[in-house]
Formats: sequence, structure tokens, C-alpha cells
Amino acid sequence: MNQRPKILTLGWEFPPLYTGGLGPACYGLSKALSQHADLTIILPRLAPSFSMKNVQFIGLNRKTAARSQWKNKKQASFSSVEAVPSELQSSYPIHNQYNFKDTDDSFFTREESFQLFNEENIYGPSIMEKVAAYRQNVCSIAAHKSFDIIHAHDWITYPAAVQLKKITGKPLVVHVHSLETDRVHALSRNKVYEIEKKGMEAADYILPVSEYTKSNIIQHYRIKAEKIVAVYNGYDQEFQTANTRAKKNSATPTSKNVLFLGRITAQKGPEYLVETAKKLLAKKSDVTFYIAGTGDMQTHLEWLVQKEKLENKIIFTGFLDKAGVKKMLSMTDAYIMPSVSEPFGLSALEAAQYNIPCVLSKQSGAAEVMPHTLQSDYWDTDKMADYLYALLHYSGLSETLTEKTSAHLPHINWEISAKKVLDVYSSLLSTN
Amino acid sequence: MTSICFYFQVHQPFRLKPYHFTEIGEQHFYEDYQKNKDILDKVATKCYLPTNQKMLELIRQHKGKFRISYSISGVALEQFEQFRPDVLASFKELADTGCVEFLSETHFHSLSYLFSKDEFHRQIMKHYWTVRRLLGVTPSVFRNTELIFNNELAKTVAEMGFKGMVAEGVDRILEGRTPNHVYNTPGNSEFGLLLKNYKLSDDIAFRFSNPAWEEHPLTVTKYASWLHSHAGEAEIINLFMDYETFGEHQWEDSGIFEFLQHLPEAIMSHPDFQFRTPSEILTAYPARDSYDAPYFTSWADTERDLSAWMENKMQQHAMHRVYGLEKEIKLINDPDLLNVWSRLQTSDHFYYMSTKYWSDGDVHKYFSPYESPYDAHIYYMNVLSDLEKTIQKSLPPCRISKRKAIKAKIRAKEIPVKMKSRNKLRISSGLTV
Repeated sequence: MNQRPKILTLGWEFPPLYTGGLGPACYGLSKALSQHADLTIILPRLAPSFSMKNVQFIGLNRKTAARSQWKNKKQASFSSVEAVPSELQSSYPIHNQYNFKDTDDSFFTREESFQLFNEENIYGPSIMEKVAAYRQNVCSIAAHKSFDIIHAHDWITYPAAVQLKKITGKPLVVHVHSLETDRVHALSRNKVYEIEKKGMEAADYILPVSEYTKSNIIQHYRIKAEKIVAVYNGYDQEFQTANTRAKKNSATPTSKNVLFLGRITAQKGPEYLVETAKKLLAKKSDVTFYIAGTGDMQTHLEWLVQKEKLENKIIFTGFLDKAGVKKMLSMTDAYIMPSVSEPFGLSALEAAQYNIPCVLSKQSGAAEVMPHTLQSDYWDTDKMADYLYALLHYSGLSETLTEKTSAHLPHINWEISAKKVLDVYSSLLSTN
Repeated sequence: MTSICFYFQVHQPFRLKPYHFTEIGEQHFYEDYQKNKDILDKVATKCYLPTNQKMLELIRQHKGKFRISYSISGVALEQFEQFRPDVLASFKELADTGCVEFLSETHFHSLSYLFSKDEFHRQIMKHYWTVRRLLGVTPSVFRNTELIFNNELAKTVAEMGFKGMVAEGVDRILEGRTPNHVYNTPGNSEFGLLLKNYKLSDDIAFRFSNPAWEEHPLTVTKYASWLHSHAGEAEIINLFMDYETFGEHQWEDSGIFEFLQHLPEAIMSHPDFQFRTPSEILTAYPARDSYDAPYFTSWADTERDLSAWMENKMQQHAMHRVYGLEKEIKLINDPDLLNVWSRLQTSDHFYYMSTKYWSDGDVHKYFSPYESPYDAHIYYMNVLSDLEKTIQKSLPPCRISKRKAIKAKIRAKEIPVKMKSRNKLRISSGLTV
């Protein structure tokens, strides 16, 4: 590319306001991309005093508070981010629980729009209205903008992106951070699924966060593989230098801790954790499992743990803030992510930064970028128990895993991801 | 005259089955019977039987002028005996021609030299008697597992009565010198060394069927001309490789068997070229120079050191743990237990745990029966954990305090571990094939 491409980025979550992996991923990618491209990012809600070099932000919640106000503000960094993926109750909703209104033809007045975008929860029951209002506002704003490519992040921005492509004829790149088939069920075919499918069909390129997600797009959405390019996430490297493992509690030097960190939802496979724990504890009793996070399956899971009489061995920590997560990680001997379907799995990388050996579900993107982890099918609880037993007994194994992983971590970064995205941009611009 | 020395390594490990932690203390059979049998059947059909047949024909066709050597690990011999007596019989037939030499090695294809000289001796002697029993020949030249070598090791082997050994010709030790004559080791002029010419060996063993290689396809004429170009300058050219090169690593459709068929004739078309076995070479040629290896070398990977087996913590921990059992095992003196423990020393177990190229996927992956080096380590350590439990149960039945006292005495070397003295282990040298 001879000159910097102008990219119109359509996002939903952005630090410091975020609930899951989407926010940090958009931030990391945009920051790396902004070195090589001019970005305009439209968000439904923008936090005050947030800015980035070479990036123009438009927050629909504060559209009237002129853009000039955002300029020249101190650059934000992750250190100011208070949220971590595991802790949010009002996260990416499971959409089957809402009875969606048909919002395709709705029209939102300025007041209605602003009311929607200023709601506390950026998803919530009115999510479909928000998506429609976002579409309407984005289209009217973008008419005055000059840009080369539309880059849309996840289904909530797809309707806006598709309509904008129709109006402007500009090429469309859709980024897939997760799929409805991950969040709900592989066979789910609801309204969100339809939006995702339409968005991907209209797109010139689809950028899923892993080869695993790419294969799901091909399988569940019937999209041709040629226009799908997997772009792995990077991670926040500032996190890494900040810490070392804390000393184990001297009162129980031999007792080991296993950590599950994530939302307690079906997607994350917490039931498989309980099954694994039961198998391991039958042979080795001095292990404690911690489930850090909350979610719609918590009550069910607590019941299950009681039924198996494992209350003393499986501890629910509930909501953990960032400091709590750090403390938890520092006393963990093994990390387990038994997700049923995990497009990427940032928390595994966070555990790796704490030199914790990981057992990962093969149905995850993290397993692809972290070769030095123990990997099993999420349903193979025998194997996961085998792995945990080995991690807790054979120090040569955990030392090798953590050594090799820390040597490998620098190879996972946003510059590599941005490079791949830029290649996609330039191929689009050269054909147009 | 330039002598071409072919030496082929024949080895199959007893692979362990996926042994789960739930089996520790419950179930004491560790080997993957079916997998070992299946792999042996496959390699027997693709390599051992057809290649042995071809070698036999060539020996007969050239009326004794085509001469070769083998080293067959004890665990491979045991598996032939157990699963494929026909393969064993075909090796016996080769031995009976008088044109084939069989080398000595550690019975269990182990890295025992690195941990225990006593165990190293024991395994060499076990192999020595196994070869004599099964093939009717007496080895007089030694090869160590994966050509692992250094000066000290050579000294130990020389003391046992061997007339020489084979080793890798490592560039950083040769420093520009040729591998194509006999060497000796510093301070021992009587003990000969045959160094592998890795360039010419690997042309066949690794590059033969590689279409990306600029010399592909490798014809007999081309290869023979490379050998002949050393006429006058080289006394010997040592071509050492895995026997499985024929038909297994290089598949039949690559033309490897036709290559083999015409190679001896092409080589001997030059009047100054002949074939000799290692002991014949050591008798016929004097050492021209000294090969000084103060540190360990091997023929594995590009590093040609011990890193294929000892690079990561898993390998190191596993190795120290298995050799840590030696004294107790020998105190118990149960032949079955000793055998189980010995088989766990086979170097392949540690090779499977190598993470050196794990993320790229390569030769280590090709040979491993497991999904990952981590699985290899886990199953191995689970097996060791069970063996340790068995050992604890089998130690002399006495009060724990007394048992501890015995262990302490063993550690203090007050009770000698039941072993024959080294002098008795000395083989009668001078016996040739």
C-alpha cells in the first residue's frame, strides 16, 4: 500500500467498558493497526477521556459532545482497565433467553437512540433495538466520512456494516470473535445466527480469531473457505512483566490448587470440570479446585458439586476483581479450560503469563497458539484427570510446559495479527 | 584399496501403552503388546524380510565380496524371537554366510553409560550372550546407543576387550580432517575408531527420496561416482544408517531396493574399491590419527549431541528417576522386575519426550507412538510410579525401620549391590566373525 488506508471500524465493546474478550481484542488490534492505517472507530458507548494516536473515536452515546473534546487526551493503557473477562455478570447474553422484537424496519429518534446507548448494560434485553439504532446512526454518520474499507467486529455491528456496504459500495471485512454456535449450541439457528450468516455472506473477507472458529464458520454457516483468514489474537504483554508466582501457603505445602477461570456457562464446560475433579479426587485427595467467575449455570453447578459431595474440594470464589484474579493465579498449580467451544480463550494466555501449566480443550483457539499445553477433547474427562494428576506429580512436566510456553509467548502478539489484517486490506484495495 | 564399510542399525523398542494414573498400584503390565506386534509386523514386511533377502542374494551373487555389518539391539532380538521368528531366521541365514558381522551394543538400547557403569557392563554382556545364542556369532566391535561417544566411554569399552567401536564423525571434533581412515582415541593406540561419513550416509538414509534435494533422483551411477572420487585419498568410507532406511523410511516405490540391488556392482566396478566389515578394517588398516572427544557426541539430530534425549526437564527427571531405582532393583534380584526396569531404560522412551521440534513437527513426531511429548512423559512416569510401588512391596520383608537401615547401608556402599565383578565381564577378545 502506498498510502495509509482509511478504515472505518465498527465496534461494540472497547476498554475500559467491556465484558468479555471482545473489548481487549478490539483495543489490541486497533492499537497495532493504527501504526499503519487511519482508523475511525464507531462505538455505541465511549468512555470519557479515552483516545489513541491515529484513531478517531465516535461514541454514539456522546455524539453531541464534539469530537474535538476527545483529542489530545492522554493515551489510555490497559493498566487503567478494571474489568477482566471472568467477572462480569452482564456479559455477552445467551440470546435464547430473550424474546426479540423484530427491529428490522424500526426507526429511532435521536432521543431514543441516546437513551439506548446510555443504558448501563451495553447488551441486555433491548439488545436488538440497540443493534438497529446502531445501524441507523452509523449509516447516517458514515455518509459524511471518507474511508476505504469497513471492518466490523462481531454480529452486533454486522447489520450496520452490511447496510453501509450497500450504500457506499466499500469492501467489507467482518471480524469473528465468537459465534452464536459457540455461545448457545452448535445447532443453534436463531435470529443472531441469521445476522451472523448474513454479515458473513455479505463480507469480502471474514477474519475469525482461530482456525478452530474458521472451521466452525465453514461447517455451521456454509461459507466458502477462500474468503476466511484466521487472525489470532495477541494479548496484553504488560500483564506479563508485572508479576511472579507467589509463595505457596506454608500451612498446606503439599496441597495443590487447580483453577477454572471464566463464566459459568455451558459454553465454558464447567460440568466437565466437576467430572474431572471427581475422577482425580478418587485417587488423590489433597487437591482443591477453584471455580472463579459467575454465570447462568452457577446454581446448577453448585447443586451438582453438593450432589457429588465435593463441597470441600470444589470452591466457588464468585466474582473476582482484577486484584482477586491476580491473587488467585499466583496460588494456582494448574489451570484448566474445558470449554465446549472457545473461539480463542484469552484467559489461558493470562494463566500462561503466570507460569501456570494449562490443560486446554482441543475445541479452542488457544490450543492452536499454545503448543506447549496439555490438550484434550472437552468431554474426555479421563484424559483431563490424567493430565491434572501428572501436572501435580511430575515437576519435570510442569517445568517443561511453562519454560517452553514462556519462550513461545512473545510469538503471540498484536503486531503479527495486524500484519495479517493489513495483508487482507491491501489485497482488497488492489482489487478495487 | 578403499574399503566401503556398511553398518546398519536394527532396533525396535518395547513401546509403552497409554498407562493412566488410575492404573498405578493396580495393574502392572506396561507394554503395548498389540502396537509392538503391529509395528514389528509392518517393518518386517516392508523392510527386514525383503532387505535381508536382497542382502543374501547380493552376498551370494558377489561370492563373498559384498560384506556388511549390523547391530541389532537386544530388545529388537527379543521381539523377533517373540513375534517374528522368521525375521530372526533370515538374520541367522545372513550370519551363516560369514560375510556379515554383528556388532555389540547395550542390550536394552539404553543410555546406561551416562548413569551407571555397572549397568552398562551388564547390558553389554546380556547382549553379547543373546547374539551368540540367537545368531551363533561373537561380536568384537562395539557400537553404543545412537553412536553416543566420548573418550571416557571408549576407554571403558576398550577395557572390556573390544578391539574398536563405531562413532559419528562430528565436524566440530574432526575440524576439517577426513572421516575416511581409522582413528584411535587419545592415550589408547590399540583401540580403533570407525567414524561415520555422515554426508555420504545421509544421502541414502535421509535424502534419497527427497524431491527438493538438488541431486534427486539419486542413481547408482551418480552415488558410485561420489564414492569413487575418493579413490587414492580414502582408506575407508563408513556408511552407517538405520536398517529401516530400506523400505520403511525410504519406501519401496522410491526405488531404494533397485538402488541397493545395483550398488555393490557399481562400487566394485572401480578396481580399487572393496567391501569390508568393521573388524576386518580394524585388522587391515592402522589408525592414522587421534579423535579426541572430551564431551559426548551422537548421531542424532543436527546437534549430534545428547539433546534428543536429555534436553528438557521431563527427560532429565524421567532418566534420573529410572536410574535411581537401580540399587533397590538389584537388591531385590528378581529377574522379572529387573527385566521390566531394564526395558524402561530404552532410549526411545526419552526420545519421545523431546520437545525440540515439537511445534514444527518432524522426525521426532514421525517416530513417536504418542500424541505429544507430554503424553509420552506422562505414561512413562505413571509406569515408573507403579514400578516404584512394586519395588517397595518387594523389598525384604522387615520392619520399616530396618528397611530404611538397609537402604542407608546401600547408599553408604556397605552392602555391595549384587553384581559380577568387572573382570568377569571382560569378553574374550580376538574372536572374529
